[in-house]
Amino acid sequence: MEQILTILVFFPAIAGMLGFIVKSDSIKVYGITVTLVEFMLSLWLWLSFDSSVAGMQFEHFFPIISNYGINYHVGVDGISLFLVILTTFMTFIAIVGLSEERALKNLILSILFLEMTMVAVFVILDAVIFYLFWELSLVPMLYIIGAWGASLRIYAAVKFFLYTFTGSLIMLIGILFMGYIYHEATGVWSFSLLDWHMLVLPFNMQLWLFVAFFLGFAIKVPMFPFHTWLPYAHGQAPTIGSVILAAVLLKMGTYGFVRFSLPLFPDASVYFVMPIAILSLIMIIYTAMVAYAQEDMKQVIAYSSVSHMGVIVLGTFALNVEGIGGSIFLMISHGIVSGALFMLVGVIYDRRHTKYMREFGGLASVMPKYATITGIMVMASVGLPLTMGFVGEFLSLLGFYKVSPIMTILAGSSIILGAIYMLSLFKKSFFGEVVKEENKNLEDLNYKELSALVPLVLIVVWLGVYPKPVLKPIDNSVKHLVDLMEKKSVTKDAKEFIVSVNKVGEGK
Amino acid sequence: MLEKVVVDLASLNIVSISPMLIAIIGALAILCIDLVTKNLNKSFYTILTILFILVDLGAVIGYKGEVRGFFDVMLIDGISILSQSIILIASALFIPLALSTKRFHEFTYPEFFALFLFMISGFQFMISTDNLILIFVGLETASLSLYTLIALHNRMKSFEAAIKYFTMGAFAAGFYSFGCMILYALTGSVELNGIFSVLSERQFEPMILVLTALIFLIGAFGFKLSIVPFHTWTPDVYEGSSAALAGYMSIVPKVAGFVVIMRIFEFFVASGIVWLEYVLYAFVVITMTLANILALVQEDVKRMLAFSSISHAGFVLAGILIGTTQSNSALFIYWIMFLFTNLGAFTMLWVSRHKNAIFHNRFDHPYTKFAGMIKIMPVGAVIMGVFMLSLAGVPPFSLFWGKMYMLSSAVNAGYIGLALIMALNSAIAAYYYLKLIVYMFLKEPVENDHTIYIKNASNPLKTIIGFSAIVTIFSIFIMNPLIEIATKYVEISGF
Repeated sequence: MEQILTILVFFPAIAGMLGFIVKSDSIKVYGITVTLVEFMLSLWLWLSFDSSVAGMQFEHFFPIISNYGINYHVGVDGISLFLVILTTFMTFIAIVGLSEERALKNLILSILFLEMTMVAVFVILDAVIFYLFWELSLVPMLYIIGAWGASLRIYAAVKFFLYTFTGSLIMLIGILFMGYIYHEATGVWSFSLLDWHMLVLPFNMQLWLFVAFFLGFAIKVPMFPFHTWLPYAHGQAPTIGSVILAAVLLKMGTYGFVRFSLPLFPDASVYFVMPIAILSLIMIIYTAMVAYAQEDMKQVIAYSSVSHMGVIVLGTFALNVEGIGGSIFLMISHGIVSGALFMLVGVIYDRRHTKYMREFGGLASVMPKYATITGIMVMASVGLPLTMGFVGEFLSLLGFYKVSPIMTILAGSSIILGAIYMLSLFKKSFFGEVVKEENKNLEDLNYKELSALVPLVLIVVWLGVYPKPVLKPIDNSVKHLVDLMEKKSVTKDAKEFIVSVNKVGEGK
Repeated sequence: MLEKVVVDLASLNIVSISPMLIAIIGALAILCIDLVTKNLNKSFYTILTILFILVDLGAVIGYKGEVRGFFDVMLIDGISILSQSIILIASALFIPLALSTKRFHEFTYPEFFALFLFMISGFQFMISTDNLILIFVGLETASLSLYTLIALHNRMKSFEAAIKYFTMGAFAAGFYSFGCMILYALTGSVELNGIFSVLSERQFEPMILVLTALIFLIGAFGFKLSIVPFHTWTPDVYEGSSAALAGYMSIVPKVAGFVVIMRIFEFFVASGIVWLEYVLYAFVVITMTLANILALVQEDVKRMLAFSSISHAGFVLAGILIGTTQSNSALFIYWIMFLFTNLGAFTMLWVSRHKNAIFHNRFDHPYTKFAGMIKIMPVGAVIMGVFMLSLAGVPPFSLFWGKMYMLSSAVNAGYIGLALIMALNSAIAAYYYLKLIVYMFLKEPVENDHTIYIKNASNPLKTIIGFSAIVTIFSIFIMNPLIEIATKYVEISGF
């Protein structure tokens, strides 16, 4: 199975293309089957993955525009492996839990195309082709938000598209410039990431290239102050759109930091640690406060997403094995937890057609199963030990502790602030008396919803108790990455910084 | 006493004008056939025209003769062959749009097809010479035919368009002849290489006159290429002419104009006259930005596409400004990619054309006409969406590759600032292309009748749409040979 990555990338797209033929009454089962097969394929990838190897595996190379160094080149390592599995898993779960009725066929086919672009972003190792899928992922999402969303959907969809499109165009110039530098240095054109890793850049060039790439990624994450598109996109998107947006699309940005920014521009990364850490802190604290002020459940989760993404970025820019590894783990756990939370909001929205917390209260007595699952997910989102959220958050903060203890303590407030807004959400909606007449006879979770949510709960607990199967491959690849950064850095400060933040806890 | 002119037939190299002769013979043949038998169907003339174009294309591609020919007037170099091929392929793809199901006035005249072939020969002359006078003759032959073709559409708006275009074109012709006159007065030559050698010997003195001549020439070609501020005719002319012809106008005359500009200006840009670089820089930036902003507020898709093609012209003009081999080949690649996307987009408008304006009292193709198209005619909406995304520069659709190669040539030549401006402009442009996508995919349909979008569709038209859609989607696979061919031809012509 040397070609398994290519199959993973194009299977959903081909299924989507052929799906035009399937009649709309059978399309949901078709969607579930296709995404399940895709998920199985990604599990197979995990099984055949050799976690002792730090570099790329299952590499496949196919020349496309060889005159200009653009080639189809895929590969997977510990960093991208679990993001691929997360993508296939969450897409599958999202379709299982889908309750949309309008124009179902268009929706399912869009999701299949979206799945192709998402998987591709995580496995492609050629910068231009990476950019291709990165941009292409906007199109199905635009359609999903714009066609099935709430009343402001068109505004939200267009804002989402234009914001990310602008950022990535600047990144494109960065990509083209990298290609040019590579050509100047070696005499051949190449946009392959692995080739670029060989390239040692002077500090000044790193600085502005870092900024160009940063804009593309930061808008996607979204980092403060580029986050304003996200609450709209989440607030207006249909449930399945929010689930995929929060679970996978946002991770593209942080993945970009790990895959591109850190190894290509190590000195600039060190140089920008503090500014980025400050932005992340603002993200963590400010959006947590905004989340507390929201009345709409979905907005609370949307802002909490931004807040948690702040922790992920902070962990990434700790530039040590714990921080980066923790942030990758947190990407996975945030993907599962926030995806689950958006699905849970979708469940109650389907029943009551409102998302305002003041409309609820006492749901725990009416819908016990729903309340239990929501409770577990809320705890995981807050970062309670023995849930998945704790592991990643703890590691990220631990990593950053070596950079700046004070900032880490401030960032640690995310757990406290998170507890405040999440628990108040839980209290307002689930505890107390059932005041509204409409809430008295709400139906509890049905089999469809349970079959989507229970696997998520199991994973949250399993990886919270025993995260090693995921952490180990991540750890290997991250060590490789940090080594590469240290070797490539040109300034003395950067070298010392990377060595110093990695010194403690290596067990030497 | 006059010297005796001895012409050797071999040195005349008559083969060098054979492609143009084929087009002219074709046009004359059509006129002769019309004299003999009336009432031949338009399909006959359309196919006949395509056949002549194909023979013409064969003569261009197969040309193996000398670079120079016909009293040294013709110049069949790499970019001439390349651009002639683009023009002929574009013409062969656009002329079948005459085979619509609805009967339109202009296609009932065989003269339409004759004029079309005359126009092609005019463009071919224009791009295969470095003689300022022959450029003028070719330019005017082509333009006069085009004015007539627009007017033949026979609606109030078309007359307005034709007259507007004609007036502006006459202005441009005046500008052009003024510019040439000054250059001739300065150097005593109408051959570009003669002009260049005299000027560089003299270090461009007197500078003020060279500047005046170039300003006149920029003005002249600014009109033809619709560079801001000479663009004002474009939206009205596009609106007045049929979608088929508007699409044609957005490609072919511009390719020809750009080749001539490349011939004239690459020398001056490379000579290091600083102000010319600034002037071109300003034109590039203003054209892209202003056209983009104006396109944002259009209500009609055709007018939006008109402004968008102005903006694309500005984008391509950057290729001339940058002036490297890569940027010049990027210019051709851009036009090839643009050709297929615009062919598709304008054909989509053309098949949805109605005899009467039912959606809007002025426009044929207001945005509201396409509202909710995905629910009524999903395949059509998806295809139109692909064309819009391609125009917006979303990968992997064709125009992205043109854009990418152009941006890359800017980056490689050190024009980082320009590249950033171009990138940001692409982001602005994305908004108005998205607007159509928003109407097609995200709004509710006005009336649930899918025939409104294919009122004018016939099988040949559908084939053309399908063909351009396939090329647009899979263009990534033709990029490699395209880069190779374009670079080769541009390089052997010394640009």
